[in-house]
This record gives sequence, C-alpha cells and structure tokens, in this order.
Amino acid sequence: MAILALAAVAYVPYGLRSAQAPRGGSTLGLIYGSTGFAFMLFAGLLGLRKKYPVWRVGRAQAWMRGHLWLGLVSFPLILLHGGFHFGGPLTSVLMWLFVFVFASGLLGAALQHFMPRVHTTQLPMETIYEQIDRVRGQLAEEATRLVDETCAALEGDVSSATENQRAMAAGAGANWDVTVASGMQVDEKASDELRRFLQVEIQPFLQRAGTHGTRLGTSTLAAAMFRQLRVLMPPNLHSNIDDLENICEEKRQLDRQSRLHKILHGWLLVHIPLSYALLLLGAWHAVAALRF
Amino acid sequence: MSSQAAPDVQLTIDGTTVSVPAGTTIFDAARLNGIPIPTLCHQQNENPVGVCRVCVVDIGQRVYAASCIRQAESGMKVQTCSEPVQAARRTLVELLMSDHPAPCARQQHSGDCELERLAGAAGIGEPRYPKRSTPRGKDDSSAVIAVDHESCILCDRCVRGCDDIRHNWVLARRGKGYQAGIAFDTNLPMAESSCVSCGECMVSCPTGALTNKRVVGTELGDGDVLDPSELLHLPIFQNVSGTFLELNQKAVVKRHYRAGEIICREGDFGSTAFYILEGKAEVFLSSPMAHVKTDGSSQGFFRKLKSMLRPRDEHRRSEESDRPFIPIDASVDLPYDKPIAELNAGDLFGEMTCMSYYPRSATVRAKTDCVMLEMLRNVLDILQRNKTFRAQLERNYRARALDSHLRSVPIFASLTKDFIDHLRDRVELIRFSPGQVICRQGEAADSFYLVRIGFVKVSEERPGGELILAYLARGGYFGEIALLTGNPRTATCTALDHVEVVRISRDDFNLMLERFPDVRARLESIAEERVAENRKRASQLQTLPVDQFLANGLMEAQSLLVLDLDRCTRCDQCVRACADAHDGVSRLVREGLRFDKYLVATSCRQCRDPLCMVGCPVGSIRRRNSLEVIIEDWCIGCGLCATNCPYGNINLHPFPVELDDPAHPGRKIASTRVKATSCDLCHDHAEPSCVYACPHDAAHRVNPPEFFAGLLKQSSPPRG
Repeated sequence: MAILALAAVAYVPYGLRSAQAPRGGSTLGLIYGSTGFAFMLFAGLLGLRKKYPVWRVGRAQAWMRGHLWLGLVSFPLILLHGGFHFGGPLTSVLMWLFVFVFASGLLGAALQHFMPRVHTTQLPMETIYEQIDRVRGQLAEEATRLVDETCAALEGDVSSATENQRAMAAGAGANWDVTVASGMQVDEKASDELRRFLQVEIQPFLQRAGTHGTRLGTSTLAAAMFRQLRVLMPPNLHSNIDDLENICEEKRQLDRQSRLHKILHGWLLVHIPLSYALLLLGAWHAVAALRF
Repeated sequence: MSSQAAPDVQLTIDGTTVSVPAGTTIFDAARLNGIPIPTLCHQQNENPVGVCRVCVVDIGQRVYAASCIRQAESGMKVQTCSEPVQAARRTLVELLMSDHPAPCARQQHSGDCELERLAGAAGIGEPRYPKRSTPRGKDDSSAVIAVDHESCILCDRCVRGCDDIRHNWVLARRGKGYQAGIAFDTNLPMAESSCVSCGECMVSCPTGALTNKRVVGTELGDGDVLDPSELLHLPIFQNVSGTFLELNQKAVVKRHYRAGEIICREGDFGSTAFYILEGKAEVFLSSPMAHVKTDGSSQGFFRKLKSMLRPRDEHRRSEESDRPFIPIDASVDLPYDKPIAELNAGDLFGEMTCMSYYPRSATVRAKTDCVMLEMLRNVLDILQRNKTFRAQLERNYRARALDSHLRSVPIFASLTKDFIDHLRDRVELIRFSPGQVICRQGEAADSFYLVRIGFVKVSEERPGGELILAYLARGGYFGEIALLTGNPRTATCTALDHVEVVRISRDDFNLMLERFPDVRARLESIAEERVAENRKRASQLQTLPVDQFLANGLMEAQSLLVLDLDRCTRCDQCVRACADAHDGVSRLVREGLRFDKYLVATSCRQCRDPLCMVGCPVGSIRRRNSLEVIIEDWCIGCGLCATNCPYGNINLHPFPVELDDPAHPGRKIASTRVKATSCDLCHDHAEPSCVYACPHDAAHRVNPPEFFAGLLKQSSPPRG
C-alpha cells in the first residue's frame, strides 16, 4: 500500500507537468509498468508454488497473501502506467484482460473468504468432493438394503398371521389408513408401497447427481412424502423410514456440496487462463513497446 | 464295577428267569440278557450314580428302583416296561425336556442327543411344564469344547469321566436346586481352568451340554490325514482322547516338504501351526531390515522430499530400539544382524497365527526334506494343555530361546551365561487366556514377567475409568516397578489374546539386581520414566471436562491435525503436500470427526490407547516415551497395524527391492516390499508439510487438550 501511495503521489506532478499526456514509454511510465508487471509475475508464481507444495520456499499462506496484495496493487500501477488510457489494439486487449483477471480475482477472494463458512454451516454431512459419486453409490445401496429389510419385516408379519387375522384384515377392505384390526392388510400394502417408493422416487434420486426435478430433491416435499410413508408403517419400523429420510437428506447435501464446490472453485476456470494470457501478452507488449 | 466273583443270583425280569453273578445290578442283569432299559446318567465305563431315574424298574416295592445301582437279589421280580413304569419314565423325560433347548447342539450336529431320542421314542412333543425362568448360560471360552449349561441335565457323566476315567479332577457340581450346574475348578471359564481339553467330558455327555467345537474351515485340504491311532502313537498326543481325535480327524494333517520348499511366508494370514516331526527348517525375514526415512534429497530452497529405506546403523532415530533379537512366532528369536535361524524336529511354529489369527511373522523354508504336522486351533489347544507336549515345548524354550529372549531385552543384555543358566530351570512358563488378568493393580508383587507370546494390556484404574498405559508384545516386560519399590502393583496387566509369559520370581529378580547393578540402574530409570509418564497422563485427564472429550474420542489423541473449516477452501493442498513429501503415498485424508468448526483429519493421532500395536507378529510397532509411534526396521509389511488402527492412519508404503531369484541362484530379481508408515510430522523440517502447504492458514497440528480447552470450558455448564 505504501508503494501504491507513493506511486499515486508521484503521478500527480508527473501528470500535470508532462508536455504530452502521461504515457507508458516515459521514465515514470516505464517504472509503473515494470513494477506492475513484476507484481503480476510474482502473483502468477503462486500456481508454481502450489504445484510443488513441499518446496520450502516460504509458507503457502505467505505466497497467497503476496498474491492477493501484489495483485491488488498491480492494477492501479498498470492504470498509472497507461495514463488511464487503454491505447491501441494490443494494449486495449491487455487492459480488458487485466480488468477481467482483476475482477475474477476479487470475486475469488470474496468467495474464498465467505464460502467456507457456508460449507461448514450448510453441509454437516460434507465429504471429499472427489468421493461424492462413490458416496452416492453407497447411499443407493444402503437405501436398497434398508427397504429390503423393512419389507422383509412387513412380509414376515404377514406370513406369520393366523387364519383369524387374515379374515379380519380381508373384512377391513382396501383401506390405506392404519387400523388395528386390519393390520394384516396394511402391512401387505405398506410393503408394496415402500418398494414402489424405492423404485420410483428414491433410486432415481440417489443414482444421479443433482435433483433433476425429482420431488425428493426438495426438502419440504421430501419431508411430506416420508411423513405419509410413516403413516403406512407400523411404529416399530419408523426408525428404518427415518434412516431412509436421512439418506435422502445426505444426498441433497452432496448435491449442494457439489454446487457450492463448483462456485468456490469455478471462478478459477476464468481467472487462471486469463492470467496466463495476460502475462504472455504483457511480456509481448513489453518487448514490442521497448524494441519497436 | 457292577459284577463281582460270587455265587449266581436268580431273578425274573419281564417274566423271563435270568441268572447273574451276585452283585450284578438289575440294569446289567437285563442288559446281559438282551433286555434294554433306557438310561441317561449311566454309562458302562463309569460307576453308576442313579441320578436321572430314567432306568427305574418295578421290583414290587413301594418305590421304583433305579436299576443302574440296585443290585439284583435272588427271587426278585422285575418289571422294566409295565404301563406304570413307562408312565413314570415318560414323566421324568418330559420334566427334563421342559428345560431342554430342543433341538440342542448335539441333536443339530449329529442327531444323537440321548434325551431327545428318548423323548421321541416316548412320543413326547411339546412338554406340558413351564420352562425355567433363570438361564444358566453358556461358556464359549474353550477353543475345543462348547459348554451349554442350558442343555445340561446334571447326569454327572462328565464329572465321572473327568475324575474317574481321566483323573484330571477338573469338573464338579456347583450350586443348589434350580441353580445347580457343572463347574470347572472353582467355577472358572473352561479355558481358564486346569482343564486339559482331553475331550472325555464331551464324549461322556448325553446331550448338547458339552459338544465338540468345530473351528470354521475345520478341514485342512491335501496333506496326509492321519488315523487317530497313528496320532496316538506320537508322544505329543499321549493322553489325548482318541474320540476327540476322531471327531477332529481332518484338523491335523501330515505334510512332506522337499528341501528348499517354502512352508509359509511372512505377512501371510493363516490359521494353522506347524510341528516338525522330521528334518530341519530355516526361518528368516525376507523384508529389508530398514525403516522408512523421509529426507530432502538436495540442500537449498528447492528441496524435494523423498522416502527411502535406511537401516538403524545408517540412520539412528531417537529412542530407536537396540534389540539384538527380533521376536517371531517360533521357539527361537532372529538376530537383527542376520535374521535367520534354524528349527529342528520337535519345534513348533505358527502358534500365534493359529491361536489368534495373526499374520505369519517370518518365512519358513525347508532346509532338508521335512515332515511336519499342520494343525488347526482346536488341535493345538489340546496339545498346549497336554502335559507331555507342554513339557517338551518348555524344554525347547529353556534350552534354545530363553537366552536370546532375555538378551533381546536391552536392559538384560549384560546378564552372564551362568546367571541365565541359573534362571533356566527356575523360570516358569505360564499361559493365559484372552481377557485373563495376569496381575492386578493394588496386589502385592511377587514376580517379574517377560512376554513370550501374545499381547498384554497394561492399564490403570482411574476415577474417570480405565486408562490404557501400554500394549506389550513378545520381548516386553512388566512387574518391575512394584518389585523395585516394594509397593503394590501400579497397574493391571491383562492378556489380550493367548499369552504366555516367563515368570521370574521375586527372589531371582532381586538376585539379578544384586549381581548386575547396571541392570538395576537401567530398570530403575525406566521405572521412573514410566511412573512420570503415567502421572503426566493422569494429570491431563484431571484438568479437563473429560466426559465431553471422551464422548468425541478426542482424548485418545496426543496430536491432531485439525482443519479450520471456516477457512478451509477444500483445495486439498494439504493432502497433495503430504503425498509429495512421501513419494506419492499420502499419510493424511481430509476426512474425519467434526468437532465444532474443526475437522479432525485422518492422520496419526499418537493415541493413548494405541490399538495399532496389538497383534504385530514381530513386535515392530511400538512407541517412544513421547508416545510418538515408531516402526522398527523389521516391519514385515503385513498390514495388521493398518487394519487395527480405527482411524485408518497407517499406510503401507511400497519400496522397490532386489531379492534373490530362486530359479537362478546368484541372480537378483526386482520386487516390491511394503513397510508400514504413519504421519511422522515431517520431522526433518520445522513444520509438517500439510501445515506448511495450506494457503489459507486452515491446517494446524495441535495438542488436543490445549487446543480445545477454551471450547470445552465455554460449552461445559458451570460446576457446583
């Protein structure tokens, strides 16, 4: 910041006294340009530093701070270098590149400051990003196993019913409401309904990344669906339904994590290539401007 | 038993007049004349006791007589199967069946439960009488015999078999009334009693109360299956029940190995032990005798870390072991300098693998043509309890291994040969079953112990619960603190698996200290360090709201890698740095327990209860006094520590090595060997690589009590 302050202070008399408008080719302009480009080069070295993390050339945190601060200061220095003009075709392209790199860098810094907290609070079941597909597969297997277990319990109840119970259940009719007398009929239907729910709702939701318009992708809708499912189940099997609901919640969190991760790191897809382009063109500009 | 030389007696049984020698019981009189009388408690080879009363007969008196004990008298008229007699028997059997868990284990395995057979013959279905309300339980401690007290009908056959036939005097009755049952010694679990697993009680039992325990995969494929009579000719099987050997015929086989053939390889998992009948075998370690060292390969800024193998004489780590011998699962230890030894006829190896399913600790190769017995756990258990076999094993141990075993403990390195000769016949080899307490905190001390095989847990009872102090493997020792100070035992030592210890009496221990002052000095120094460390650990426990910490399992850790999730951008630079620092094998996973806003990453925690150390077949994983884990040069890469670590913090790091080509002597072939590694805190550098490489200051290596102290105090309710 001291460098920036000094540069700004020096620019005022320079701007007022120069016969032509301040330009990059002047002594002060070259100083601004070289310094700004040097800062940009250092900022660009962060990528190399991250590529070899074991190199003991200063802590990565120090490099990151250097990247942020020097990158921040380089922008006004380059503006001062160009006299707040974008100049010819090459320099215009350079300046616009710089604007985008700078803006994306600011955005990235903000994201890296705020997003981790969002991750922490919104994603208690967070996993490693590269493992999301694998975890999703495991959730799908677990859901299938839970449903099989629940249906086996329901069908087991059914198969051990006495003749009397079967007669009573038949007399209660095809009714989805829970009744004590017709427990037999409800268990059979509950088992079928649960399997249908697994095949139609749970498995398509778990097997694909994202919600794709599935009802289970929305927590309020999902809660309502599971509430309805609990009504059909005997109380001793509600814990299995709770587990299924938790599995769906975990899947929603994985989807959210995937989205947040892309936001947190996606800006690099713009920032990094543009930065390399900026550095290359900047070097060409320096050679071309000085030589020709 | 029931017949004596005397004048004959004439009686009538079911209308048939029979003549038998005087003193013959009614049961035998009927049997000799082809008249069957059902019974449960009576066996021909045992003295009758008449407890079950199933053999009752009508002899015209007010009460029915138990035919197995009632002697025949002249002129007696016996009805063995009249309606009233059958009704009485039926009632008796039905009463017994009402408490019997039909079908019992014997009925399920072999369909020959005598009680259920009698019930079936009498047409007894579901008993009319209610079942007992108080269970009598089971005893699964023996490797050979399953004890189900629920099936016991208190017929006393097992007691008579153990006492009268085998003269082992282990079994007896205990309790009264409905709580009566059989007991081993003073009602100990069978495996902890003096039972020698001869199998006589099991053979005698008419129900499923005592049944042969079939080990999973009880049959050993290919190999010569020996007839029990052939086995009984071998001295080591003397006094073993022939019936038991019949029931377990394929659990022991004879194998022939040609010279040069590999019998077992280090690191392989197995479930058998080998006993050498003829020939010689070589036992050795083929893993490189070196530990993993991570080092910068060049000086200056751009140091690239590389992991390599270094033996201890090239690179010395702090508190590196000076042990001259490497403990293995055999009757000998391997010298560190040249880890190869010879096994001869009469030697047993693979005991720990067989009893506790640990990986093979060394490679064994036939030096000459060999004949061996390969056996499963149930057979080995029988042999280990067999007096003849034990005597032979102990003789071998005293003659061949005691010396190197004592010297393998560095503090005893200066013991002279004559003192070891003095100790040779005075030490006691004692076996303990899993969970059995060897010595208890607070007891008076009378012995010093060396661990010969197995693992011993050393723990201290604190107000907050049990505090694990150490796990000791072969070559470990305990009991010295109390002997040196004269105070009661400071800790409880418990066998974690099948343990055998060498017990040195207090008198011999004191004699050793007197004759070898340097041993005394070193023991005192180690005892002081142990006491100080225990005190430090205990004081840390007292200064924290322990319950919260314990609930999260964080108290077990001495050092945690903690990620501040509010700063961490999930860039994985920490993991990449760890992998780069260790030749691509990361020792860190960015996943684990979450505590508040912190993630406790998966990286060695230097736990106070180091479960990773339990089961190492060569005792190569231990810890320094600072509690940091150290893996010795002779790690064979079996991976058991990696499996045991509940946090997945131990990794197996592959290294290229050159080995002798067995097909072309003198030539080498490229191969790979793995060594266990865990986080070493990159101690060649000022900071661990993971922490150094984090761009957002999110990764920290912390001491949990200090780091979390503030959080815990904030969240715990005010006391008092």
